[in-house]
Amino acid sequence: MLSYTLRRLMAVIPTILILIVICFFLMRLAPGGPFTSERPLPPAVMKNVLERYGLDEPLYVQLWTYVKNIIIAFDFGPSFSQKDRSVNDLIAQGFPVTLTYGFFSAVFVLVMGIPLGMIAALRHNSFWDYVMTGLAIFSQIFPNFVLAPLMVLLFTLALGLLPGGGWNGGQWQYVIMPAVALGTSYMASVARLTRGSLLEVLNAPYIRTARAKGLSERTILIRHAMKPTLLPVISYMAPVFVYMITGSVFIDIFFSTGGIGQNFIDAAYTRDYSVILGLAILYSVLTFVLTLIVDLVYAWIDPKVRSGLK
Amino acid sequence: MLSVQDLSIRFRTGEGHVHAVNNVSFDIAAGQKLALVGESGSGKSQIALSILGLLANNAETSGRIDFNGADLLSIPLRQLNKIRAKEIGIIFQDPMTSLNPYMTVERQLGEVLELHEGLRGSAARARVLEVMDAVQIPDAKNRLKSYPHEFSGGMRQRIVIAMALLLRPKLILADEPTTALDVTVQAQIMRLLDDIQQEYKTSILLITHDLGVVAGFCDETLVLYGGRVMERAATKDIFALPTHPYTRGLMRAVPNIHEPHAKLTAIPGQPPNQTQPLTACPFAARCQDAVMDCHSSLPDLTQSAPMRACLRPLEELT
Repeated sequence: MLSYTLRRLMAVIPTILILIVICFFLMRLAPGGPFTSERPLPPAVMKNVLERYGLDEPLYVQLWTYVKNIIIAFDFGPSFSQKDRSVNDLIAQGFPVTLTYGFFSAVFVLVMGIPLGMIAALRHNSFWDYVMTGLAIFSQIFPNFVLAPLMVLLFTLALGLLPGGGWNGGQWQYVIMPAVALGTSYMASVARLTRGSLLEVLNAPYIRTARAKGLSERTILIRHAMKPTLLPVISYMAPVFVYMITGSVFIDIFFSTGGIGQNFIDAAYTRDYSVILGLAILYSVLTFVLTLIVDLVYAWIDPKVRSGLK
Repeated sequence: MLSVQDLSIRFRTGEGHVHAVNNVSFDIAAGQKLALVGESGSGKSQIALSILGLLANNAETSGRIDFNGADLLSIPLRQLNKIRAKEIGIIFQDPMTSLNPYMTVERQLGEVLELHEGLRGSAARARVLEVMDAVQIPDAKNRLKSYPHEFSGGMRQRIVIAMALLLRPKLILADEPTTALDVTVQAQIMRLLDDIQQEYKTSILLITHDLGVVAGFCDETLVLYGGRVMERAATKDIFALPTHPYTRGLMRAVPNIHEPHAKLTAIPGQPPNQTQPLTACPFAARCQDAVMDCHSSLPDLTQSAPMRACLRPLEELT
């Protein structure tokens, strides 16, 4: 298991390098650059600026310098659009915010979604099942850019319970709405996934075996049915985690949380090469790590997968 | 010891009711080995499941299943749970799916001891090992922490049997215990069951569609068709001289080692449609000996030997 983990981690490095090369050239292929504007700069000024950021060098030299700085100094370069700020600064400032509400959003998705799905399955075809399923479909059809304004209308403007935006160092009142707005539709998917999974597991022959042993329904549910029920949920959560972190652009804009999604949008508009590259690397490392964690949890639960990992 | 009286099981489905078992009665004495024989859809497995209250949710039952004075069909789940595994064990058909793939073998066996006898730790482990040895699982000590997928089909079925034996129940329901296994493994498993039955003095209700399995094993055989008992007799009599037309049809469909070139005859027609309550003999439509009355009346099982439900048994034919 340990050697498997290490091997997976080692594979990250070459993948990231390939990713850097692809992203680097893709950005340069697009017309325009960080210092193109509607009123062109005087040629002398332009020359100075390009020299200042090393953009006058040949592309392969630029690429080499970029990779070298990352390896030697873990320096992702200066931002081209925000004067005197480095990519490292921007990430250090925005990423903790995104990670905080992303984490609470994931907690919300699991803590609400799994029990709701289980209740619906255990009360199969009853009033509660229909209420849960209805609720799940209802929240699934609301994308976060519809849900967020509705929540602000209700909780901020009508009830005055929660602030309508801002971050304020991550105080809980400021975290709730971004986390819930980001997670609701995933929560609904998890609820439906859990419901379907548990219904299927409860029909499995080994659950009948457990009943034949004289175990109580409660013990059967916790001891025999829980693990297999959660397996599909766990597989589903890997891409969802990533998507919740990377897909937080709208949340950052709407709630002015100052998370990293805002930087991404700004950088794309201003062709801020180094910021875009830095964020792409961050997101892909995140994807690797989260997928690895999910795979390890999966292996921990499923002995068949575990014996396949050796 | 176990007495099934007038048991009927029907299932609610989208297209109405399916009458799987119709007014079946039989009993098993202590130490007896009784076979329930029938083709797929004859209701034999449902009878076994109903004894332990394991029928699917859409099942409706009527009648009584009397076990040492309690009616298993109506006692509360709490009481039934004290009988399950402790008094009546069950061996399921498919060892590939009837063990929990996410739990070690030790845990799956051990939880039975923990629940019914409060045994844990080394005491429980000793008992688990003892039973695993009894069902001849080689190197049991080193296989306690293994998961079901690490065993072969035959070994898994031995584990399932071990599970049923753990508490030395008075009755074991063996629901097609060898159907999912190779023929050679089948023979081993049947011999194992036989040895265990001799040693533990349990009663066994063997459910199978395989007459070959029954022949060397059971004292008595109950032949089911369309959810109804067709014939009940000593197994040797059934093989020597079957008297019910259905049983005779079954025998003609089994290869005979003494007449290797004899032609096998299948019973013509299809198993009955069970969506209507029975009003006539379910076999009448396929019976070569049927007369007019067979299509309109439902004969009861005779109460003394030869026990059968038929208007036209062998000796009536001339």
